[in-house]
Amino acid sequence: MAGCCSAIPIPLLLLVLMSSYCCGVDTSLDDDFGDEFEDEFAQKEAQRPRDPFRLYNRFMFRVNDRLYFWVMKPAAVGYSKVVPEGGRIAVNRFFRNITFPIRFVNNVLQLKFKNAGVECARFGVNTTIGVLGFGDPARLRLGLTPRREDFGQTLGRYGAGGGFHLVLPVLGPSNLRDAAGKVPDCFLNPINYVDPIAAALIINAYGKENYTSLHIGEYESLKKDALDPYTFIRDVYERNREKMIKE
Amino acid sequence: MRKCSAVLALLLVVQPVMADDTADAEKILKNTVSSVLDILKAENLNKKKKRSRIEKVISPVFDFPLMSKLALGRKHWPCLNEEEKKAFTGLFVARLKDSYLEKINLFTDEAVEFKSPVKVKKKIHMPTLVISKGEEYSILYKLHKSSDEWRIYDFEVQGVSMISTYRSQYNEYFANNGTVADLLEKMKKRNEAE
Repeated sequence: MAGCCSAIPIPLLLLVLMSSYCCGVDTSLDDDFGDEFEDEFAQKEAQRPRDPFRLYNRFMFRVNDRLYFWVMKPAAVGYSKVVPEGGRIAVNRFFRNITFPIRFVNNVLQLKFKNAGVECARFGVNTTIGVLGFGDPARLRLGLTPRREDFGQTLGRYGAGGGFHLVLPVLGPSNLRDAAGKVPDCFLNPINYVDPIAAALIINAYGKENYTSLHIGEYESLKKDALDPYTFIRDVYERNREKMIKE
Repeated sequence: MRKCSAVLALLLVVQPVMADDTADAEKILKNTVSSVLDILKAENLNKKKKRSRIEKVISPVFDFPLMSKLALGRKHWPCLNEEEKKAFTGLFVARLKDSYLEKINLFTDEAVEFKSPVKVKKKIHMPTLVISKGEEYSILYKLHKSSDEWRIYDFEVQGVSMISTYRSQYNEYFANNGTVADLLEKMKKRNEAE
């Protein structure tokens, strides 16, 4: 009998032990940090992010913060009292729909042809049946969800690291790669072809303001989670971008 | 020979139990999230009542003490004495509850879709999709088994893990020579400012 059992491969025994570990044995930590937890989180912290532009970034972060609380938020609050939410959601959909070329081209560049096709379908359906994109029957009736891609993600997909964190005036947190990526995307945004350029800027600003009015409270809530709002938002931004690139 | 078949028999029994675990975890999460949404949508309750009801619903399901430990991590948690550990946990949990409730409140009127759970090592990741104001937000709940019950030890909003972000903050804080006493002071002040 002993001979037989020693022939059982070790992995099998481990499996049995692990299974009993999973099913009911108390895995509370007490003084011992379960390795599985630490491993899960420690990997992501291997290095502290380098932030050589931090002095500038912190300054610009404060500028944008003031801009939000002194200009954008009050305007958004006032605007939201005049225009009901349904209308503002529709306007947001219009702006999303019109930036279709950005998503389409970047999906193709990343060889995500199925997603590119979905974006095409969404654009087609929403522009026609959804009346210039104010509605979203593509999602509501056909279950087609947006496949958001931008040039920063395209660069990331092909191996470009984010580079250093960079806070852009008005536009908020970004990094070298994503900021550079905004340039080609600008050329893909139909609004930027409106003549004169001031009109294009105003339209874009209106779109941003409308979007803000739908998301009042989120930035404030995010800040509250932070010991240090700048580093918090920086890390949240970078993590979120990593996730978006992987998808 | 007998021992071999005993081991194999044990394996066969264990497999379906593991599958049940996923179903259990799924059920617990679905019930919790649905209850929270129902409370949020209830028109006859004021904000305070909603908040206290939601707290009652989430307290057994969120493993708050574990989350406090993980937030500080193996590097810093052991450096606190018993009193400090207690104080930190109290303040952190209060802050975490506020944080979760605030975020859930921002997505009041919509639906939640539950996707299929994924088993990751000994834990379960449950992806959900919240549809709010025409946009989608992904919230991933991570559960572990503690004393026979599945409990949440982390949640990710749009791919950003709550525990990870707190950890990097605390790491940075201590790397810049922050003291525990100052940290507790800061947290107290912030919670009182609510």
